Amino acid sequence: MKRIGVFVCHCGINIASTVDVQKVAEEVGKMPGVVFATDYIYMCSDPGQALVREKIREENLDAVIVAACSPNLHESTFRTAAGEAGLNPWQLEIANIREQCSWVHSDREKATEKAIRIVKAMVEKTRLNESLDPISVPITRKALVIGGGIAGIQAALDIADAGYEVILVEKEPSIGGHMAQLSETFPTLDCSQCILTPKMVAVGKHGNIELMTYSTVEEISGYVGNFTVKIRRKAAYVDWSICTGCGQCTEVCPAKVPSSFDRNFSTHGAVYVPFPQAVPNKPVIDREHCIHFKTGKCGLCEKTCEIGAIRFDQEDQVFRREVGAVVVAAGYDTLPLSELKEYGAGRVPDVIDGLAFERLLSASGPTNGEIRRPSDGKVPKEVVFVQCAGSRDPERHKPYCSKICCMYTTKHALLYRHRVHDGQPYIFYIDIRTGGKGYEEFYHRAEEDEGIIYLRGKVAKIFRDGAETVVWGTDTLTGKNVEIRADLVVLATAVIPRKSTARLVRKLHIQAGPNGFLAEAHPKLRPVESINSGFYLAGAAQGPKDIPESVAQAGGAACKVISLFSRNRLEQDPAVAWVDEDLCGGCRICISVCPYDARKFDEEKGIAVVNEALCEGCGSCVAACACGATQQKNLTDVQIKNMITASLGGK
Amino acid sequence: MVKVAYYPGCALKDRSSHLDASARDAAERLGFQLDELESWTCCGAVPPVSRERVMNLVASSRILKNTRDSGRDLLVTICDFCYNTLKRTNHRIRKDEITRRRINTYLAQEKPERDYIEETASPWTDYAGEVRVMHLMEYLRDVTGYDEMRKRLSRPLEGLKLAPYYGCVMLRPENEIGLDDPEDPSIIEGFIEALGARVVNYPYRTECCGSYLSVSDPDVSTRLSYKILSSAAGKGADAVILSCPLCFHNLDSRQEAISRVFPGFKPIPVFYFTQLLSLAMGGDRDRQGFSRHHVDVSGVVDSIFAEKERQ
Amino acid sequence: MFEPRIICFLCTWCAGAGADLAGTSRLEYTPNGVNIRFMCSGRIDPEHVLWAFGKGADGVLIGGCHPGDCHYMDGNYKTMARVALLSRLLDDFGINRARLRLEWISAAEGAKFASVMNDFTEKLRSLGPMKPATREMAR
Repeated sequence: MKRIGVFVCHCGINIASTVDVQKVAEEVGKMPGVVFATDYIYMCSDPGQALVREKIREENLDAVIVAACSPNLHESTFRTAAGEAGLNPWQLEIANIREQCSWVHSDREKATEKAIRIVKAMVEKTRLNESLDPISVPITRKALVIGGGIAGIQAALDIADAGYEVILVEKEPSIGGHMAQLSETFPTLDCSQCILTPKMVAVGKHGNIELMTYSTVEEISGYVGNFTVKIRRKAAYVDWSICTGCGQCTEVCPAKVPSSFDRNFSTHGAVYVPFPQAVPNKPVIDREHCIHFKTGKCGLCEKTCEIGAIRFDQEDQVFRREVGAVVVAAGYDTLPLSELKEYGAGRVPDVIDGLAFERLLSASGPTNGEIRRPSDGKVPKEVVFVQCAGSRDPERHKPYCSKICCMYTTKHALLYRHRVHDGQPYIFYIDIRTGGKGYEEFYHRAEEDEGIIYLRGKVAKIFRDGAETVVWGTDTLTGKNVEIRADLVVLATAVIPRKSTARLVRKLHIQAGPNGFLAEAHPKLRPVESINSGFYLAGAAQGPKDIPESVAQAGGAACKVISLFSRNRLEQDPAVAWVDEDLCGGCRICISVCPYDARKFDEEKGIAVVNEALCEGCGSCVAACACGATQQKNLTDVQIKNMITASLGGK
Repeated sequence: MVKVAYYPGCALKDRSSHLDASARDAAERLGFQLDELESWTCCGAVPPVSRERVMNLVASSRILKNTRDSGRDLLVTICDFCYNTLKRTNHRIRKDEITRRRINTYLAQEKPERDYIEETASPWTDYAGEVRVMHLMEYLRDVTGYDEMRKRLSRPLEGLKLAPYYGCVMLRPENEIGLDDPEDPSIIEGFIEALGARVVNYPYRTECCGSYLSVSDPDVSTRLSYKILSSAAGKGADAVILSCPLCFHNLDSRQEAISRVFPGFKPIPVFYFTQLLSLAMGGDRDRQGFSRHHVDVSGVVDSIFAEKERQ
Repeated sequence: MFEPRIICFLCTWCAGAGADLAGTSRLEYTPNGVNIRFMCSGRIDPEHVLWAFGKGADGVLIGGCHPGDCHYMDGNYKTMARVALLSRLLDDFGINRARLRLEWISAAEGAKFASVMNDFTEKLRSLGPMKPATREMAR
């Protein structure tokens, strides 16, 4: 039988005034196996801890109970002390007789009796405690960052600057994301390209970053610290290893493909670089539109390329990489105009979305920064901006606030006024939300000094009438219906997760919330981590976010990765689930209840096993196990039952 | 000939009985018979706006249950209001178990189980939403098929420019009706094209005509109807086509009042969809009840026949 | 006066922390319960509840995080489902289902923990002790 020692703390008078601590020690001391029991005025003090260490050695104790305050306060203190005395730390338990006994009762006799039961229950638990070692797993100190927008760029740079290797995967031919499409950024109006491009170049040049654009994550397996990932690089039909990026091929290509980067306002060839500042600045061939692929003829690019970089026979390549952590920065999309039936369903040419207006504003955009409407190229004199187009609309569209639109719409209206001095911008809004540094001031400047007309209300309908686009809305402050015959309408369409995000969630086995945005481990306290260890979140894939927030979150995610990598091995609480292989019938219920993907079916043995590195020790699978094959270490069903029995005064 | 269970509703039996006749005529020309339910009651008509949550559904539930008990699983109506009421009741019964139980309790009280078994020789079973409710327009689109209609045209409405008018209750609420997108519908457009006519696109096709306000505050209805009709006419429509007796009443009979309030307004003919369907399928012009219209439709109807003769 | 014996199964993150807060706030409540700490209420097996009744408990309290707050995603939903089924089972055993109580108690709800304990004790007092034969059933 185990030799157990019990130490009852007075906590000055905090425990001793309501609980008769001597009596507790005396009563518990009578239990079989309890070879030593005492009380002491302050167990957590240095002499108190010394007493524990001394008695462990002197009495040759196999297990120790400290009856004191909440385990949340001093469990680790005493376990460390026990470890110093040569006792396995998991052989020490705390019995909480302060917060859950002496502080909440006044009847000394009853409180004492309850304290005795609490300590006895803990003696019964400890009797069956196993000596455990922290779970220790090695770490591959290399990170995978998925998504090359500003969030992914920032996370990759931060991790790489800390001295760790990073693989940055981006599905487009170039990194940059939506930020590369923007003209100027609120509230400072600095040019988006000017602040983004240096970071893109830094990524391209960084010795620790392996940049894989035009690539997607195909598959991931493993667990925190030890993932294996398969990355598919789409065939670019251009050999990037020898291509100099001279651009000759893009100039001779006769095909005309609408530029998605320019929101279809311009075209590029079938062989193209998405935008001049692209990183890497290497072209890809769009197979679907390439005349050579369609007819077998043309091949102008091939003839033009002097170094022979055009390779029509190139195929997709799949790469295997080992990484220790993954940052998911998959970005966002905006609600397609076709979904907004009430606003013309995308069929009215002069109804465009915010990103399209950014391209019109951009000095390097399709109109060189001149604002010209799509239908006839006329400079619009009356422009209506519609906020919450699809946001805050639970009946028809998205219930949530897209967060960035209030600010960018104000910026749009303001920049429009700077370009078209005699133009009149109107903004329909539900509420103006300016929660950010300098945002409210920016909005006030726009409203008071820039002649923008703000109309509080929703727009009911938009339709084309001749050359004009008619907007029907309500001004709820005057209670009047409003009709504006506009030259151009800009919709602040809802921010939505990318279509590919749902696929990514399935591939990575991480979680997404009801609206499809990635779910964080805790909404307040763990906002940059996924619930699944080893995965970190950055940017608008987790929820609508502006640039400063995306950058901050990316930095946070990078820090989490760096902190993970700073350890030699990963140590985790060993009180995890454990399977009795003889009892397991292979029903797999445990696999279905585990939120961490820690339970897997071992086909060979025909049983469900535990991946200790992933198990968080919640015990859900233990309760679900029908035959008792799964147990939680140091909290087995037998231990629980013995504790219950002891708490009720039984044996 | 295929028989399709048919619920006419009150308006189509009284004030708008000519529309009922045209619907039956058109259906037969398309190869199916509108088979009126043996005994039916008012659908309830106003449940959508009533606050009571259960009693207002009993009348329509009874109709649906009788339909099922007569061995039919499809019920067609040609009135937007009846369609809305029946379909929403059915939706509630399907989705909400408590409502379903309460309604069946009421229905069972009307007709005790004992009587029921004697009459039908089958045990009582709760009505659980088994019947599918369809608008005739929906039936034409989804069962007959617009392509099939086009093949059967004997008098295509070529050259006719028609403005579709949807009103309110045919499409809303979207999650319960699910017939078409209420903000950007296309079912009447498809119908017009299937008849060989041309669609006139105008912004007011889904705006409100004033509905019951024509009783309590006719001025509102007059103003709204004016906007709809003048917008359609402004876009070159020869006539407006719709599928709701109340909309028909507002847009047709109100035109005299409109002319008084808005001088310069030119009356425009309004057709119920069944009338044009019947004509296009070779129906007789005398069976459409055109004499009961407030706005003279003879010009448009003449042109339909003239067009046919030219061919 | 009859003093019922109560076993409280508390998750450590919310209900357990709430019980600690009741202590630090010095909120007095009846001393009839003994708390057993779990990492998550999702670890609680219906068997544990029956065991408690069999060994002399007059009431069992299960305390977990509020829905949506579970530290382990959805352990409390699993508990909710299990308790619902177990309550029906208790009827079959002849055990009044009021003797099993499920409460969502957050780490900030010390006052709620105290009032739940007072209320539950009162309720169990009015129900009286469990009949020995019934207790036998739970075993």
